[in-house]
Amino acid sequence: MLILPNDLKSFIRETGEIFRFILRFFREGFRPRYEVAEFIRQCYVIGYKSLPLVALTAFIIGIVLTMQLRPTMVSYGVDVQIPAMVGVAIVREIGPILTALIFAGKIGSSIGAELGSMKVTEQIDAMEVSGTNPFKYLVVTRTLAAMLMLPVLVVLADGIALFGSFLGVNIYESLTFNLFFKKVFDNLIYIDVIPAFIKTFFFGFAVGIIGCFKGYYSEKGTEGVGLSANSSVVVSSVLIFIIDLVAVQIAELFQH
Amino acid sequence: MKKKSFDTIKLGLFVLSALTLLIIALYVLGKNKTFFGNRFELKSQFRDVNGLLTGNNVRFSGIDVGSVLGIKILNDTVIEVTMNLNRNMKGFIRSNSIASIGTDGLIGNRVVNIEPAGGDFPFVNGGETLPSKEEVRTDEMLRTLYNTNKNVAKISEEVLNTMKLINNSSELTSLLNDKTLSQNLRISLQNLRNTTENASLMMKNAVSTLKLASEGKGALATVLTDTTLSADLKLAVGQIRTLENSADRLVNDLNQMVTSVEKDINQGNGSVNALLRDSIMANQMRASIKNVEKGTAAFAQDMEAAKSNFLFRGYFKKQEKEAAKAKKTAEMKAKQ
Repeated sequence: MLILPNDLKSFIRETGEIFRFILRFFREGFRPRYEVAEFIRQCYVIGYKSLPLVALTAFIIGIVLTMQLRPTMVSYGVDVQIPAMVGVAIVREIGPILTALIFAGKIGSSIGAELGSMKVTEQIDAMEVSGTNPFKYLVVTRTLAAMLMLPVLVVLADGIALFGSFLGVNIYESLTFNLFFKKVFDNLIYIDVIPAFIKTFFFGFAVGIIGCFKGYYSEKGTEGVGLSANSSVVVSSVLIFIIDLVAVQIAELFQH
Repeated sequence: MKKKSFDTIKLGLFVLSALTLLIIALYVLGKNKTFFGNRFELKSQFRDVNGLLTGNNVRFSGIDVGSVLGIKILNDTVIEVTMNLNRNMKGFIRSNSIASIGTDGLIGNRVVNIEPAGGDFPFVNGGETLPSKEEVRTDEMLRTLYNTNKNVAKISEEVLNTMKLINNSSELTSLLNDKTLSQNLRISLQNLRNTTENASLMMKNAVSTLKLASEGKGALATVLTDTTLSADLKLAVGQIRTLENSADRLVNDLNQMVTSVEKDINQGNGSVNALLRDSIMANQMRASIKNVEKGTAAFAQDMEAAKSNFLFRGYFKKQEKEAAKAKKTAEMKAKQ
């Protein structure tokens, strides 16, 4: 056994456990029976219920980003390029990462807390006894729902943020809606949109799987529920940034 | 599973709206042209687009009316720029409008400027190629300015040198400081004025004289119009001719005289002949010459005697030596 600090040892152990959890997700997720009804319900809870929060943050960030950029752009005499710049910023980075972080805060913690409380109240064990596969019913549905709903949220958030930016531009000058979106889309190319869209699946997967993992292996009673909710948010947020880093490098490879 | 159908509709709307948005975005990106339907295209060809990018603004008489859709190289000297314009500009842009590439401000973005060129040409309908014009380029402007600056610097340097020379020139300074100069100049000018006045007066007189003469008045008129004068002149010429005749006669007389003298000499007559052929006179002259010869012989004897005299002996010996030496050197030269 390697002589390592306990923290590091536990970190490595947890990484291994998460990896095993992920493998189990793929093993069980693609094998019948499929919990379709629960999956749809989770989509509603995870996706639709998150929309107001995501929409509000996206709208605000659209206006704020535009207003923050404006003085610098004006001083360079390129204020006409604000839509283009905001468009690239929102579609490539701010939309996905902001939505994913909000999503991690809202969904990661709720999954962690829900599964954690089910674990400590031994509902999961009861499920196993009653013949229902708790992993399929709880983990696969939630993770899949998170994985598929986050891209949907990101697309909507991008649109809302761009609308916010359009309003932000119109505070100072009058620019038609059509021209604004023309300017935005004139500057966007597939390589801006596609990688940004693809990486959101990974963000959603990370949030779902970490929330489920933390809840599924929750310990120490009610205290453990809070701990799993907390750590699922922290870990998934960090993972989102790591995935983002990897994604931007892969996208860069395709760009050249 | 409670409120399942209700949930599903909301969820369906949620997902569908996002999907629609995504599909629209991808479609717009793919087409990236006339998705919004209220646009049309115009083209123009340039030699140099000067850093123009797709998405740069297009202006018609200074109003933003669209953007650059594409930049394509047709060949090494022709670059085709495709512009996307608002549909409502169709009623304003005529097909002879001129496109040029300018800058938004001094260092801002590139823009395509479309300027109306006047005339009753038809309005564009989309897809036309507008004539283009090369705009003054900032870098070219700066290059010209740089050359101008260099020239100005050179000129100012030369002016400075000239000024230095002027300042250092004592002649010029003394000339400038000379207070009498202006006075002299003034006097000279005064004199000049007097002279010209006199000249004009003279001319006036001459004119009046000529006028008088033409009218037959005054001395000049007399000279020009007097008939007796010509008669006098004729007389004078006649007299000159008479004088010439008498001169001819004189020459003839002289000829005759010379001929007669020659004749006398040949025939032995006359005094000239006597002077030339008289034998007595010739004998007398011969005797005189003999006497002179005798005199010179006696003088030579006296000189010999003087040579042997001790007073002059040294001098003569020296002369002999020099003569001998000169002879020797002459021989040497001849041998060589």
